[in-house]
Amino acid sequence: MAVPEFLQTAELLKQGAEARVYRAEFLGKPAIVKERFPKRYRHPTLDEKLTHRRTTQEVRSILRCRRAGICAPVVYFVDYTSHCIFLEEIIGSSTVRDHIASAQQSDSGTEQKLQQLAERVGQILARMHDEDVIHGDLTTSNMLLRHSQKDGEPELVLIDFGLSYISALPEDKGVDLYVLEKAFLSTHPNTEALFEKLLKSYAASSKKSSAVIKKLDEVRLRGRKRSMVG
Amino acid sequence: MTVVIGFEGSANKIGIGIIRDGEVLSNPRRTYITPPGQGFMPSDTARHHRAVILTVLKEALEQAGLKPADIDCVAYTKGPGMGAPLVTVALVARTVAQLWGKPLLGVNHCIGHIEMGRLITKANNPTVLYVSGGNTQVIAYSERRYRIFGETIDIAVGNCLDRFARVIKISNDPSPGYNIEQMAKKGSQYVELPYTVKGMDVSFSGILSYIEEAANKMLSSGQCTAEDLCFSLQETVFSMLVEITERAMAHCGSQEVLIVGGVGCNLRLQEMMGVMCQERGAKLFATDERFCIDNGAMIAQAGWEMFRSGQVTELEDSWITQRYRTDEVEVTWRD
Amino acid sequence: MNLTQDLELFPGHRVTQMLFKEVKNAAELRQSAVEGKISGALINPTMLVDPLQVLVAANKAVHLQTIGKMKTRSLYSEIIFNLSPTNNISEAFKRFGISDGDESVMVVVVHKKDEVQLLSDVTARVDGRQVPAEDVSSLSDSAKIKKLYKVAPQEDKCGTLLDAVICRMATKDVM
Repeated sequence: MAVPEFLQTAELLKQGAEARVYRAEFLGKPAIVKERFPKRYRHPTLDEKLTHRRTTQEVRSILRCRRAGICAPVVYFVDYTSHCIFLEEIIGSSTVRDHIASAQQSDSGTEQKLQQLAERVGQILARMHDEDVIHGDLTTSNMLLRHSQKDGEPELVLIDFGLSYISALPEDKGVDLYVLEKAFLSTHPNTEALFEKLLKSYAASSKKSSAVIKKLDEVRLRGRKRSMVG
Repeated sequence: MTVVIGFEGSANKIGIGIIRDGEVLSNPRRTYITPPGQGFMPSDTARHHRAVILTVLKEALEQAGLKPADIDCVAYTKGPGMGAPLVTVALVARTVAQLWGKPLLGVNHCIGHIEMGRLITKANNPTVLYVSGGNTQVIAYSERRYRIFGETIDIAVGNCLDRFARVIKISNDPSPGYNIEQMAKKGSQYVELPYTVKGMDVSFSGILSYIEEAANKMLSSGQCTAEDLCFSLQETVFSMLVEITERAMAHCGSQEVLIVGGVGCNLRLQEMMGVMCQERGAKLFATDERFCIDNGAMIAQAGWEMFRSGQVTELEDSWITQRYRTDEVEVTWRD
Repeated sequence: MNLTQDLELFPGHRVTQMLFKEVKNAAELRQSAVEGKISGALINPTMLVDPLQVLVAANKAVHLQTIGKMKTRSLYSEIIFNLSPTNNISEAFKRFGISDGDESVMVVVVHKKDEVQLLSDVTARVDGRQVPAEDVSSLSDSAKIKKLYKVAPQEDKCGTLLDAVICRMATKDVM
């Protein structure tokens, strides 16, 4: 097995819930390798099924996004035996999460910049949903800002499509936004207004937003009305 | 020294515990058990609690070897939970507080689980998986709140297990979850079930409706045994829970996990969580049924923390609420 | 002139690309390739955006050969097949292989470090002028490539044509 040996020499960046993420040179290019290693806590049958499904879903969704002009890393190579995906490294990027956190630390003049960022995130997600791509794990860590050499606004790049799938149902899109809302507000305290901006921009950009926002409201209500006995 | 007595009765357990500066002096408890195939209804549960609460109170004081005068504060569960049982227990707490002339303190049930878990296990700043009949949440502390990073978007994992138990008529004594766990040990065949994880959130309603629909057919056709179903259901729902816990840990950069709540005493869940922790060099903290399952000491412990940080609940504010989110509480006792 | 890249996943294996212009014996070369007399893949350079495209195809071919899951008979036909966005083998050869009248050819050889003889064998067979392999970009027929790989203008927003092509090649098995 060539890939596992190769990864032993690669630089481990992080171990997420799903995969180990490495940085390595691949075909002479800087690349990111995402390795879905077996999860020993799961039943082997379940593990194999999930791992295979998520690997294929991830590359499918990336291609679908890119086709629609939504930035996501280029896929260089997929090894379905070791469940590794070789991706373009997004050079010169930082996460939206770090960006918001550092903007919140510095006091002046960042409010407007953050609002513009929130609006852009809303627009991109609207486009993604219009393509029927459900990301499945929207967080501010899974959005990168690529600072291009050219001056001007940094580009938003979506990553980590491991839990993604294709669906046209407003319910699925609403839940996708709900997942983001919870991750957003728990990661970035006191950003309710900022998230509202994001949703407004989503609603204005998506052709099918009204049904999605309605579902989002329903899902939120389900959370609040849920009985919490025991 | 600060001594706090805690009253808990938000679901089918009634418990009263006494804590003195981190030491559990007593923690008696009773459980309202319904026949197989039946859940517990609010009014019946409240009736059960009313019938035994004074006996339990007497036990708590006797086992602790304390008189009412030794108590500094009376804590009770303000919510979340079932209305009628909550009212019953709050009423007794209010009464004894006035009789004894002690301050009252309304406590969030979920915070009680977290603080008890932290006390018993000495976990410092863990990612908390709170799993019970009514709650499924992945929680981490930041900026004076226990923030909910992940949770169920429909029913709680314990509710899913309990309702499955009713479908195939598993006994509720001592609890449906315990009996599922014992049966699962004898299961071997893995039956594929829906697996629904959405980022750090989970959904169990799809699994439940699938298994409600299919269970009796699969059993009568001999496709699998009840034990196989218990095994497969546990493997599936626990995998989902471990997965979202790990995702929250990766997200928060946390290296500790604490499991609390009634489902948290399931040893298979603890084992799976332990394997996950090992794989990422993290540490698992869990407690046994004395403290995982609803009890009075947990309310006393959270009350102790709150009381020491200067909080009390005035009589006119000593109401209860069926819905009370973990992140509504300002955590005044942690940095 | 030659462009050589190690395949990081398969230590010892490297890929050399050689580009020829003003080729006069394309028909003969093609025939030799069909008969398996040339150890190299002969590719129509107008369908190539960049040498990286060839590397992606070659890496995947060596990988599939290693695990015994090639879709075609040989490593070199597999490289040509991997360039194609579809799973139709004869279509892949029609688009990415060379035709008898072609005047330019990209030859791709997968070899060990010490197998330089293989490269000179190929060079000796081609009646044409070798140019730097990097020049392949100047021969690309972008319009044809965009049509074949179905690259719509909106995709320009998130990357180059090379990105679009590579992404499709890498993911075609699950589309």
